Amino acid sequence: MTTIRIGAAPEAYEGKGLYLDGASAEPRKAELRIDEARRALAILMPRKDPVYWPLTEIRKLPDQSEQDMAVMRLAKDPLARLILTTAQDQEIMRVRASELHRRPPVEGKRRLVVWGASALGAVALMIFVLIPFLADNLAGLLPASGKRALGESVFEDVRVALDRTGVDPLPLCEGPEGLAALEKMGTRLFPNQSEEEALVVHVLDHEMVNAFALPGGIIVFMRGLLEKTETPEELAAVYAHEVGHVRALDPSRIALRTTGSAGVLGLLLGDFAGGAAVLFATNRLIQADYTQEAEAAADAFAHQAMLDADLAPEALATLFKRLREEYGEPEGVVQYFLSHPSLGDRIEAARAATPADATFRPLLEAAEWDALRGICGE
Amino acid sequence: MGLLTILTVGIYRFWARTRLRRWYWSALRPGGFPLEYTGTPLEKFLGFLVAVVILAFYIGVINLVLIFLSFSLLSAPGAAYLLTILGVIPLWFFAAYRAQRYLLARTRWMGLRFGLEPGAWGYALRACFHWFLTLLTLGIWHPRLRYALARYRHNRTFFGTQRMEQGGNRTMLYPAFVHVMIGGFLTLGAIYETAPELGPFFAALESEDFSSFEASSPSWRLFYIAIPWLIFGLVYYGVEGRKLLINTLSVGETGFDIRPRIGKVLWISISGNLARYGAVTALAMVASLLLIGGALTQGLTMEEVSEGDPETLFRAVTQDLPGWLSTAVVVVFYFLIFLMWNVLTHVFLTMPTWRHYAETLNLTGTPHLATIDQRARDESREAGGFAEALDVGAAI
Ligand SMILES: [Zn+2]
Repeated sequence: MTTIRIGAAPEAYEGKGLYLDGASAEPRKAELRIDEARRALAILMPRKDPVYWPLTEIRKLPDQSEQDMAVMRLAKDPLARLILTTAQDQEIMRVRASELHRRPPVEGKRRLVVWGASALGAVALMIFVLIPFLADNLAGLLPASGKRALGESVFEDVRVALDRTGVDPLPLCEGPEGLAALEKMGTRLFPNQSEEEALVVHVLDHEMVNAFALPGGIIVFMRGLLEKTETPEELAAVYAHEVGHVRALDPSRIALRTTGSAGVLGLLLGDFAGGAAVLFATNRLIQADYTQEAEAAADAFAHQAMLDADLAPEALATLFKRLREEYGEPEGVVQYFLSHPSLGDRIEAARAATPADATFRPLLEAAEWDALRGICGE
Repeated sequence: MGLLTILTVGIYRFWARTRLRRWYWSALRPGGFPLEYTGTPLEKFLGFLVAVVILAFYIGVINLVLIFLSFSLLSAPGAAYLLTILGVIPLWFFAAYRAQRYLLARTRWMGLRFGLEPGAWGYALRACFHWFLTLLTLGIWHPRLRYALARYRHNRTFFGTQRMEQGGNRTMLYPAFVHVMIGGFLTLGAIYETAPELGPFFAALESEDFSSFEASSPSWRLFYIAIPWLIFGLVYYGVEGRKLLINTLSVGETGFDIRPRIGKVLWISISGNLARYGAVTALAMVASLLLIGGALTQGLTMEEVSEGDPETLFRAVTQDLPGWLSTAVVVVFYFLIFLMWNVLTHVFLTMPTWRHYAETLNLTGTPHLATIDQRARDESREAGGFAEALDVGAAI
């Protein structure tokens, strides 16, 4: 008798395996042959019809922890399995079944695209529509004590985030004469504060040229800003501008928005990147990404407050102009009031708000101003 | 795999987890037949996306409203955080049950599917109730909780068409709990005895200055017995409890006989932890040696090096490099530690424990299995996505 050999086929292969038909939990001992005419593996069991697996359709289960046993399946049959326990049987399969390691085709690509888009859409809807809407409405309903508590908790977070080691909060500058000068500036600008509107002013020891407002009338100046302002009036203008934000409830809105958004982003990114989301949120608070309308309104508030206190609103224009000259175009600069493209308009507005024939009273004595600028010590 | 996970901002974790599960499942061979995991990464990713869509609304709005209420009513954030966590707890148990259902629906043995009946809300309800009692009783209720939840899950579990059944009774886990009780009791006793000195002790710990602290109470020694006993008790409770639960479980006429050895499991957890902490410590030491060497070549004196904190040293070493490069070095180092930790945990802790359980497992009454038939496929569309989104801790 002659055998026609195909490929590396050995002489009439006789193997053994355990066949699981996937319908019941009864393993069947099977004799294995290669049916060259059908180009298939014949699985022969007592008292059962033989099963033929086309050689090119046989797949081996991937990622098995032990190699002493190999489990085979048929590409299109999700249930039936053939277990091979000897090295020889596995070797035959490796040689004869040419597509043993082919991966199944990817199913459900469309659904993936649809759900992927929906997930992004839902998160975007939350962050850009629903959370801002809720935050804007809830901000007005917060009582004064609640706003102050919110502001204080945010302030603590900001201090920790700004510190380079990220562990201790950034120190406050508390030179007594400097604080007295700040107090004087505050009383001059806002002489009749109701208890509801009471302000708290802090100076942070940080080189950033920045000032920001937090919920509950907490105004924060950075040391960098004190170094860049040349007259007390310039600082007073920034002060009044920040109070403008507080009165318009801008910081409360942003704080509520970020707490909502941080939770959603953390959910999407998982533990690993969740920390980054929180950091991003804190960053947004200091950057105080207000709309142009909010900035213009705060400016207008500042102009009026300055005029009421016999101070020239133009101080805001001089400060902005100098910062623009020093840092060039606003783009790419971290400082918040430089990041708005309408800086030219804001300078113009400050100038226009200053009547030509008005007379102004000085704000601080030279010694007081020096004390204020040196509030952080040497 | 870990590397790919990091590089793809975590998306590869669905692929990594699928491969890991195939590997772990195949190592379990009850009666000589390996388990097979048939879940796909894509369905996991999809399920995660579905969960994100639903949870985004829940978490976003709830977070915001709770923060608002907490600040407007109590002027403090604490209550909001607490409420947010409390609000997520039932969801967490719900997600755990659903994840279990998905896992069983994608597990095969001898060609047949496993399955878990729906019942996630009932599970969440019972879990909340029992955990409440456990907290109230300082943990003494925990064996009751463990039994009740296992029973709830197991009695809803199917192998093919055959329903499983959890035998035993509500109090049967207490013998396994005895060492936790002794260890816990001793710890409480030690805390009570040394209570007047605990304040100064933690103050010294905080300031890292123990010079002024002196332990005068002889009861401090009690901690040397109490803490190891408690740790041993927890491991014992884990192993012995699992053994009791599995050995009273049955699939029709087929039963289980598992005999994990506590000594072996303790050894695995001690050696495994030594291996992973040791490796990370070694890596940190190599890094600090490099840092010190670098600082010295940068012209810093020995004195400056020993005085300087790591940040100053790092700054000194990388001063000539562009900023992005020094950031990249830190990021790579951080990922390296993360990666090594993961790999070592699998190789020295999870897999050996898993294998030990598998090796000591035998089946009784196996002829009955041949009469069990296949069950229909459970789509389980969200594929454990809620658990993934909520970080419900699954080892694999
Ligand atoms: Zn502004």
